[in-house]
Amino acid sequence: MPLLTVIVSGLAIGAVYAATALAFNAMFSTSKVLSVATGHISMLGGVFGAYFIASLGLPSIVGFVATLVIGVLFGLATEVVAIRRVLNRSDQHLWLLSTLAIAIMVQQSIGLWWGTEPRPFPRLFPQPFGAGVLDQKYWLPIIAVGVMVLALELFYRKTLFGKLFIAVSEDLFAARARGIPVHRVRAFSYALAGVIGAMAGFAAGQLTFAYFALGLTLTLNGFIAVAVGGLGSNRGAVVGGAALGLLSAFASYFVGGQYQNTIAVGLLMLVLLIKPEGLFGAKTVRAV
Amino acid sequence: MTIKLTRRGFIKASALTAGAMAVPAFAAERPIRIGWLSSLTGPLSSAAIAENHGVQFAVNQINAAGGVGGRKLDLLTRDTQGDPTKAVNFAQQLAFSEKVDFVIGPVNSGESLATVPILAHANIPNIIIGTVDKLTNPAKYPLAFRAINTNTQWIEGTNHYTLDVLKKTKIAIIGDTTGYGTSTVDSAKRLLSKQGVTPVYTTLVKPNQTDLSDEMNKAQSAGANVLMPWSAATGLLARILNARGNMGWDIPIVGHPALMGLDIQHLLNKPSYWDNTYAIGYKCTTFDKNGNLPAGTQRLMKAIRPKLKGGKIDFTFWWVALGYDTVQIIKHAVEKAGSTDAGKIKTGLENTSDLKEVYAAPHGYTWTPHDHNGFPTSDLAMDVADTFKEGSFQRAPR
Repeated sequence: MPLLTVIVSGLAIGAVYAATALAFNAMFSTSKVLSVATGHISMLGGVFGAYFIASLGLPSIVGFVATLVIGVLFGLATEVVAIRRVLNRSDQHLWLLSTLAIAIMVQQSIGLWWGTEPRPFPRLFPQPFGAGVLDQKYWLPIIAVGVMVLALELFYRKTLFGKLFIAVSEDLFAARARGIPVHRVRAFSYALAGVIGAMAGFAAGQLTFAYFALGLTLTLNGFIAVAVGGLGSNRGAVVGGAALGLLSAFASYFVGGQYQNTIAVGLLMLVLLIKPEGLFGAKTVRAV
Repeated sequence: MTIKLTRRGFIKASALTAGAMAVPAFAAERPIRIGWLSSLTGPLSSAAIAENHGVQFAVNQINAAGGVGGRKLDLLTRDTQGDPTKAVNFAQQLAFSEKVDFVIGPVNSGESLATVPILAHANIPNIIIGTVDKLTNPAKYPLAFRAINTNTQWIEGTNHYTLDVLKKTKIAIIGDTTGYGTSTVDSAKRLLSKQGVTPVYTTLVKPNQTDLSDEMNKAQSAGANVLMPWSAATGLLARILNARGNMGWDIPIVGHPALMGLDIQHLLNKPSYWDNTYAIGYKCTTFDKNGNLPAGTQRLMKAIRPKLKGGKIDFTFWWVALGYDTVQIIKHAVEKAGSTDAGKIKTGLENTSDLKEVYAAPHGYTWTPHDHNGFPTSDLAMDVADTFKEGSFQRAPR
């Protein structure tokens, strides 16, 4: 029974890492940018979810939709403020600085407005505390990631816009040559990442609390998940996130929390050494 | 009309004239510049904000009364955001550009570890408000004087209550992986072993770990009958309390003052999860058996209340008292030294005993040439965590 708790709690936090990795993928596919502010979308999901439901007293479903709107707005703001002009004017990786700047600004702003101590996230469904591994705080993020993966698969395979996404992702110049509005597709991908991140933050709010400083941790762990799973692969993101969550939980349980980060980063190094493209990543072939 | 001037009368008149002339000259001296390194934003800002109330209030109060020896206090506040790098930059700026006479802070021990050597090198008296023991060392940092208690005092107080009052010896220790948590867990184990007690379970967890059920299950399996968390992270402490409550495990929790922070209350699944929890606190903010606080605390509360939003004291008041005392200590030091000369300030503080202020009461601060930790252990108290009222607490059963 104790091991079951380790597994379920590891999978739950792993689901949040996986969702962050999915958001990374969505943005990377159209812009080739790994935004430092990716984890901050989930932070906003947790904080605004708690604000809408607990502070404003909105029904959970209304609060959920409003939180997704916040995620979309933040995603679009990231694209407009930190990505669009930087990509238009420079081939250098200046987006690293611009996304770091927006991450710091949003974190400081939330800290000033919301406070720097964690605040509670409301119970979404009536359920007594003490349900153990059946508690909604574990299952909500896991279910949310399942829904996200399914929805993304349907979107990419079954919709015209999804196919445009794949086209832009595979060859930006060819897509542009065929008349695809690549800037609009890119903006849409950031809005989509906003939905993914906000949904993850909302679903995991009871696990993480509504806490302003959560963003950078999620960015780092989401990046490890995406690097382990393979950049661009949603299947890889889920496997990478779950592996990282489980490994962290087992590391904490068996050897103590002081080794958790070392083991997580060690996993990243190991995978990069053995399979640099990640578990499910496509090998980069350079034409000569 | 003739005025008969005797020799005695002449001396008196001369002294009065000299005195009258001296006062404006003294008042014309430059203000006493105090640097205040405070993490007013960023993680762990709650304590700093409360301390800032006390510091600001004391400075305004002293200035309204004419300053110290006619010299006004000039407070230069710098927000370190809890970041040691920023704290170092500000410490250097205050020391070498602003040329302050004193520095209070920084608030967090991690920041202080970085700034104390810099201020020592700059020969600036530093009032320490971090608890990590090695922040004071009269040989290495001759001008660093601590106002707050040491971490060892907190641990000793907690160990004493656990072993001698609760009579529990099967202790589970949970610390966080920060520098503070790691070193405190080591110290707690060392001090317990001196009393012949080995904890049945010890673990370190990340301060933002989302679930503590596993660790609590292991502590229960190890046969623990008391839990000692050493962390200042509100979220982590709330998760420990939630895990205990969800397990239905009625084991006392004794430890860090953050256990009684009001922020914890909102993070608990049920209010009752806070029962049977005790935190090391202070006599200055502990109600006596008649429900009264010490006179000094009452006076400060009455005076400061109108300055607070809505007149409400919704934070732990001993932080305010500590901030207030740091400025009062500077006032005492300047008055005792007769100047802001660092060497004289050092001698003055090292010859201070039983300086009764608000935070250190009823016994007061004592510093010696060999010990720059002024807060007496006898002014600590064990409190019941869930009894917050006006920033103060009920005393734990003895």
